[in-house]
Amino acid sequence: MTAFARKNADKPPMLIYDKVRKNYGDFTALDGVSMHVNSGEVVCLIGPSGSGKSTLLRCTNALETIDDGEIRFEGKPLPKSDTETRKVRQRMGMVFQSFELFPHKTALENVAIGLTTVRKMDADEAHKRAMALLAKVGLADKTANYPANLSGGQQQRVAIARALAMEPHVMLFDEPTSALDPETVGEVLNVMRNLADEGMTMIVVTHEMSFARRVANWVVVFERGQLLEQGPPQQIFEAPTTERTREFLSHLGWNG
Amino acid sequence: MNLDWSIVWQSRWLLLEGAGVTILLTALTMLIAVPGGIVLALMRGSRFKPVALFATGFVELFRNVPLLLLVYWAFYVMPVLTGLGLSPFATGLVALCLNVSAYNSETFRSGINSIRKGQTEAGLALGMSKGEVFRQIILPQAWRRVLPILASTWVSLFKDTSLVSVIAVGELAHTAMQIRSQSFRVLEMLTAMAAIYWLMGYPQAKIVDWIHRKYGVRE
Amino acid sequence: MDFDFSPLLDSWRFLASGLGLTILLSIAAVITSFVLGLAVALGRLYGPAWLRAMLVFYIDSMRAIPVFVVLVWIYFAVPIISGYTFAPFWAALTGITIHVAAYVAEIIRAGLTSIRKGQIQAGLAIGMSTPQILRHILLPQAIVRMLPAFGSVISVTIKDTAIAAVIAVPELMRQAETVAGQTYRPIEIFTTVMVIYFLIIFPITRLVDRFYIRVAYLGRS
Repeated sequence: MTAFARKNADKPPMLIYDKVRKNYGDFTALDGVSMHVNSGEVVCLIGPSGSGKSTLLRCTNALETIDDGEIRFEGKPLPKSDTETRKVRQRMGMVFQSFELFPHKTALENVAIGLTTVRKMDADEAHKRAMALLAKVGLADKTANYPANLSGGQQQRVAIARALAMEPHVMLFDEPTSALDPETVGEVLNVMRNLADEGMTMIVVTHEMSFARRVANWVVVFERGQLLEQGPPQQIFEAPTTERTREFLSHLGWNG
Repeated sequence: MNLDWSIVWQSRWLLLEGAGVTILLTALTMLIAVPGGIVLALMRGSRFKPVALFATGFVELFRNVPLLLLVYWAFYVMPVLTGLGLSPFATGLVALCLNVSAYNSETFRSGINSIRKGQTEAGLALGMSKGEVFRQIILPQAWRRVLPILASTWVSLFKDTSLVSVIAVGELAHTAMQIRSQSFRVLEMLTAMAAIYWLMGYPQAKIVDWIHRKYGVRE
Repeated sequence: MDFDFSPLLDSWRFLASGLGLTILLSIAAVITSFVLGLAVALGRLYGPAWLRAMLVFYIDSMRAIPVFVVLVWIYFAVPIISGYTFAPFWAALTGITIHVAAYVAEIIRAGLTSIRKGQIQAGLAIGMSTPQILRHILLPQAIVRMLPAFGSVISVTIKDTAIAAVIAVPELMRQAETVAGQTYRPIEIFTTVMVIYFLIIFPITRLVDRFYIRVAYLGRS
């Protein structure tokens, strides 16, 4: 096999995970994970449920704190203080499995709320930007809708726009299509693919193997809190080096 | 049986004044006990253990003892504690506030807890501070759940103000009981007292029903 | 400032008899309130129109009038009308029951109506009658769902018994007033009695909540 050059490998990585450990009581969620993400890369994290991929994502923007090891973002370790953590979070967008739109705000207000409260931008300017972002995710006609009046796929697209509003350097997707009806999965994946085409750095926890296969630049396989193997999608999906990866993929009905 | 209902009409201004004091006491108590309840609820959630423990003790004590006892207790303890000779009205207000703040704290706590954790995380992920998340995301959502319960508490409080009559606060119950013992028109005055409470309380109960219908959470 | 708790030691028998009466009155009032409340709820849900209207009026009136006013009226005014004098204990039991039963009725009604229609239809489908559905399907689920509310009714009832002191029922609150007046040690007496009430009421509500958590699944349909 020819050596595979990762995207922007000549530049310093955007995110570096160094022997990251995370325990919940007796349960080890992350057992010494080391990996990195270059800028402009789409990295997909795959593996069985409970293998630690979501935990790694949540540790990345400090929704969970790690017990040992280090996570470096844009050259600096994640800060300890609340104020510094908030600044880091503004440079990372996060999309949740259950959308977590704010039900008391319209689609437009959901997208604008980060700009108005965190950035202290004035409402007109924030709404203008929010409008443009909703148009970008194909929801220009739903700006006045409350989340309750949107389909799951529409809600998730609003959530993506909400994260993009902060102009993040990296987008974290935590199983963004797992809670969706099958017919709306495609519209969300399309938005994500467009984002990838624009060069956004993305970390995606997903069970959508065809998305990982086609869109990811790098795929990381997790099992029991450990990194089982990583590589370009061709390698992971066509010639996995471990038996466990092969088993996992065949469980999902993936056969090359 | 010889009844003379004219005593009620003769005492109309006194009774009206008593009813006014009842309303004033209810409104003032709520005005203090709503922010009081929020503060206690936040203190209970504090990461600093002594603060959380104090708030828990405060809430559990003052909502698990009879209000009448609390009124007497405040009457004797407050002067010693503050070194001031508080008026009966102020003493009654303190007792009611201790009780209702404790109730409101539970109301706010359950309202806040009913908002799932992901909402907080979504706010934090945008870079909001904990205070911003609380004000912008949690409180507006919790409010819908809290408002109907606060409305019910208001009516209970309106009725409970009658208990401060035992320390001679001149609200409706005390006023009516006083006129009763001076005029010996027992049946007339007690019936008038019940009727006035009914006239004031009935519409309040109906408004509470309306609020529950409008905002009530359907499972 | 100095405290003197010795009056408590001297009069503990007196206070203990008050505590006994508080417990007796509480248990009696809880039982009568539940029986009356269940009857009112069923009458309100399944009774003829005139009965329903009357019961709604009764329930809403009890939500509007303080229990203090109800007690005082029953104790002082009823004898004038009826010529029959109540002993304070019975007046208190009657007043508290009339008041609390209205709340119990509302809780039971809300509990019964919260059970999905499908449950009734499932009962009808296997040929049950309305009373059978009520007894075997609705009430068992509703009672579980109502447990937390019942817990607070018990705590409200115990607190209401203290109001019986104003019509001279020699329960704990009344005895405390008497001792406080005789010994000039109101702070010590009232503080102690407050702790006693707390030690009764707090564990009861906690136990009911614990129990509910264990059986909650029985009420989910």
